[in-house]
Amino acid sequence: MPRFWRRRHDDGHEPDDPKAVPIADARARARVRVRGEVVQMRTRPVHGLPSLSITIRDDTGTATIVFAGRREVGGITLGRRLVIEGVAVDSNGTLEFTNPAYTLLSP
Amino acid sequence: MKVVIAGAGSVGRYMARQLLAAGHTVTLIDQLPSVRQRHTDDADGVAWCVGDACEVDTLTAAGVSDADVVAAVTGDDEDNLVIALLSKQEFGVPRTVGRVNHPNNEWMFNDMWGVDVSVSTPHLLTAVVEEAVNIGSFVRLLNLGAGKAGLAEVTLTESSPAAGSRIDALDLPRECTIVALIRDRHVVVPRGDTGLLAGDEVLVLVTRDAEADVHRVLVG
Repeated sequence: MPRFWRRRHDDGHEPDDPKAVPIADARARARVRVRGEVVQMRTRPVHGLPSLSITIRDDTGTATIVFAGRREVGGITLGRRLVIEGVAVDSNGTLEFTNPAYTLLSP
Repeated sequence: MKVVIAGAGSVGRYMARQLLAAGHTVTLIDQLPSVRQRHTDDADGVAWCVGDACEVDTLTAAGVSDADVVAAVTGDDEDNLVIALLSKQEFGVPRTVGRVNHPNNEWMFNDMWGVDVSVSTPHLLTAVVEEAVNIGSFVRLLNLGAGKAGLAEVTLTESSPAAGSRIDALDLPRECTIVALIRDRHVVVPRGDTGLLAGDEVLVLVTRDAEADVHRVLVG
């Protein structure tokens, strides 16, 4: 089993991690941590398989997070604040994370 | 462009040579040090990285972080999927290419697994054989955009409604473009005023939804 699966969720960071950057400052293709509120959730089938696409927003912008193969992710609901850490792709000007590590913050 | 190729078998090495000759920067990853030793002169100018491409550390060492394209072309479909997914998920690679070895696995090679473009040798071979035997029919050569569009080929027969017409006179849907004609073994770049003749091989870029219309116009 590749190591990356194991390290995915052992996130030892405090929720209000100072390393989180404003979404507008986050760059594609570098490991970044952003914090924002879930403002949109969408399940869209991709080739017949489920895929959960959520949008988070902070004061500076929005980012998209795709959880492939999932209809829901426990604890992620509209209005929930999240810390997302991963490497994003620039998808037409919006950062898109695929299966990133996430931390649920208290509402 | 910076290209990282995972799997230095005959496919990976061939790609490396071709891409290098085309002026790209190429890195080959293979698990076996012996593969590299056997082929040192084979791909002069290609950077090698020995390691398991299914591990993030190996991909990091191979420079996937700033690669424009990652091609996962090992002989193992599971590995190719893991490599594509890691490239997308952990490195945000803009373009990933996955080689399908076993046709039954083709359905998994999509964005769910981080694959932007899949190439299936069995599928291509079938298409080429179909093309060779089925004059006058519509043959899908290559899928693009996760199967939403593709490159198709039709060899026009005498009975084709398009034979004898100019391209701009055809009632083709907007969702397609004739990209090339092969006539007497020469490639003709088509323009609106190019006339189509029976015997022409017509290459057409078409979305899946518009295929039926294109079929009607070119095949009848």
